Amino acid sequence: MTTVPEAGAPATQPDAMAPSRDRRGSPIPTGALIATRFLELRKRRGLMITLVLVTIGIPSVFLAVRLLLHAVAPATYGPAGGYQTYTGLTAGVLYTFGFIVAATLGCTAGSVDLSEGMFRHLVVTGRSRLALYLARIPAGLAILVPLVAIGFTVVCAVCVFAAPTTLSLNGISVPAGMSQTQLDTWAADHATEVICDLPSTNVPLDVPCGTAPTGPGPRISTTPPGNPVAPSEAELRAVATRVAQQNWTFYERQFRYPSESLMIKTGLWLELEAAVGFLVGLGLGSLLGQRTVALVLMIVLEVVLTPIVIRVRIPHLENLERAVVGVATAHLEPGQLPLAFGGGGRDFRLTESTTTAICVILAWIIGWSILGAWRMMTRDA
Amino acid sequence: MMTAARTGSDSPWAVETRWLTKRFGSIVAVDGVDLRVPRGCAFGYLGPNGAGKTTLIRVLLGLTHADAGEMSLLGHAVPRHRDVALARVGAIVDEPRFHGHLSGRQNLQLLAAAREPAARGRIDASLERVGMLHRGADRVSKYSMGMRQRLGVAACLIGDPQLLILDEPMNGLDPAGMQEMRDMIRALVAEGRTVVLSSHLLDEVERTCDAVAIVDHGSVIRQGPIRELLAGASVTLRVDCSHPERARSLLVGIGVAVTVAVEADGLAITLPGGTPRDVIADVARILVGGGISVYRLQPVQTSLESWFLQVTSRLGERE
Repeated sequence: MTTVPEAGAPATQPDAMAPSRDRRGSPIPTGALIATRFLELRKRRGLMITLVLVTIGIPSVFLAVRLLLHAVAPATYGPAGGYQTYTGLTAGVLYTFGFIVAATLGCTAGSVDLSEGMFRHLVVTGRSRLALYLARIPAGLAILVPLVAIGFTVVCAVCVFAAPTTLSLNGISVPAGMSQTQLDTWAADHATEVICDLPSTNVPLDVPCGTAPTGPGPRISTTPPGNPVAPSEAELRAVATRVAQQNWTFYERQFRYPSESLMIKTGLWLELEAAVGFLVGLGLGSLLGQRTVALVLMIVLEVVLTPIVIRVRIPHLENLERAVVGVATAHLEPGQLPLAFGGGGRDFRLTESTTTAICVILAWIIGWSILGAWRMMTRDA
Repeated sequence: MMTAARTGSDSPWAVETRWLTKRFGSIVAVDGVDLRVPRGCAFGYLGPNGAGKTTLIRVLLGLTHADAGEMSLLGHAVPRHRDVALARVGAIVDEPRFHGHLSGRQNLQLLAAAREPAARGRIDASLERVGMLHRGADRVSKYSMGMRQRLGVAACLIGDPQLLILDEPMNGLDPAGMQEMRDMIRALVAEGRTVVLSSHLLDEVERTCDAVAIVDHGSVIRQGPIRELLAGASVTLRVDCSHPERARSLLVGIGVAVTVAVEADGLAITLPGGTPRDVIADVARILVGGGISVYRLQPVQTSLESWFLQVTSRLGERE
């Protein structure tokens, strides 16, 4: 047994100067801290498999089946890609499931240190608890954003490269992928076909359509009584353009593939939705200190509460409905997409300004982050 | 200490608390504790279950807040200078738990990232020191309790700590592991570090520590170097003799002993703490003079365990 040194007796002390060189009291997380948080999340095999399956696997399998069916029986099954497939997968699948997987990641990142006993070890290092919380944000987003991007890229790639090359509109083969101007020009060049075969209303012109009408368009005489003078080329082109304009909405739905601007907007919108799900989940998970309840609440918010709030108008509580984050993100949805929460083409969304929607989203992100960080800083470890 | 103690490396105390109090509702878990742990020693913090040992450690480390009192670690007042103080503190509190899906090394990387940059470079050395270098790549979920305990110590060492606070570090260790842990603690102390050891394995504490504090019902009731504390404890004199009953009556009449009990092979005489050696010679002389044959006479110093039980049971009697 050694004796206790006298009080104040000099002992061989380990390096006492080192701590002054690091700023562990700073709330700003270090790169190493972020990197190890990333490692900790990435090594969760079950979570990663789920994330990959949902963000990449589901759309990939869906598109692979469509590609296969089209390859086997092209007459029965249309091309795998195309505009409708794109809108269905982005607004219908990636949006909702992207939010849920993001929330899963967020709730996990926010709660596992506590539930697995590591929080105590981390606090004892003297590192700022706020820095420990904030390090999870870039770490989680570094996992989430690429996954959503990859899943979305798969969808875009298939929808673009496996899109139909021509569309059949009432028996006419119309080139796909045209803009409205291009369609107008094409219609003018194929005036007789367009006028005779495409549906239209109030076309004040009699056009000779051959022996019999072949389409539902304005019935146009074959030998116009009392008007022996055939319409001029310019008149035909003008009428055809008008018919094309009347059919634009239908044609647009059959677009060959989404435009680049739409894909960019959609990608940013999906990333925004995923980021919101992650950050809110992170705050909620940290606040509650456990993953399951937090995740259930997030799923209820996305799958139950938000669709209801979007569809149901509650008198005098519309501002409260606008405060639901799903309503705000749905408001920012690119205009060419169908409503994210279904509705059979109808748009139930509350009218609100884009500024309001952005403010609501920021309030959710900041509010839940503050709550999560506050709980982490004040919680007994 | 914020007011009284010297700060930083000037302070002679690795841990110092003054009137530290922590309540959980109506329960006072830490009740006005004044504790002073000298630098460069192994210090045992002892107490029965529920005495408030772990709570005090949690308060010291900032894992929970104190309701009253002042405290300092390595001369830095906490929680005010918590980050500076904890930079050179390593601790295991309760059962060491880690991310089970990560390897031991990855868990240490996570903790090193929360410390200073140099901590990462100490990971291998720390694993080697606790005998876990060869298992560092295995997932922690496959570790035994003893291995997690060792990993917990390694997690302390990556910070190159001046002060280690180990809560029940022997838990889950086999006898060889306990011996290694004991040796490691002594080696750490020899390097100038301070080790605070909370345990209820009194034998281990006695063999490992230089000084102890006894805590009961949230209060420190004794503290100081073990030798000094035990010097005040009673001494048992075991006497192997003929006619134990007669011998007992001879000694009771003189009144040198606290108690004299007849046992199967003789007498057990309890002498007060600090009794001079001459008293033992007097006992022998009285017995021989009374016609008793004395075959063996052996003073037995009270162990820490016996002393601990005496101290805590006396408190119980007082209540």
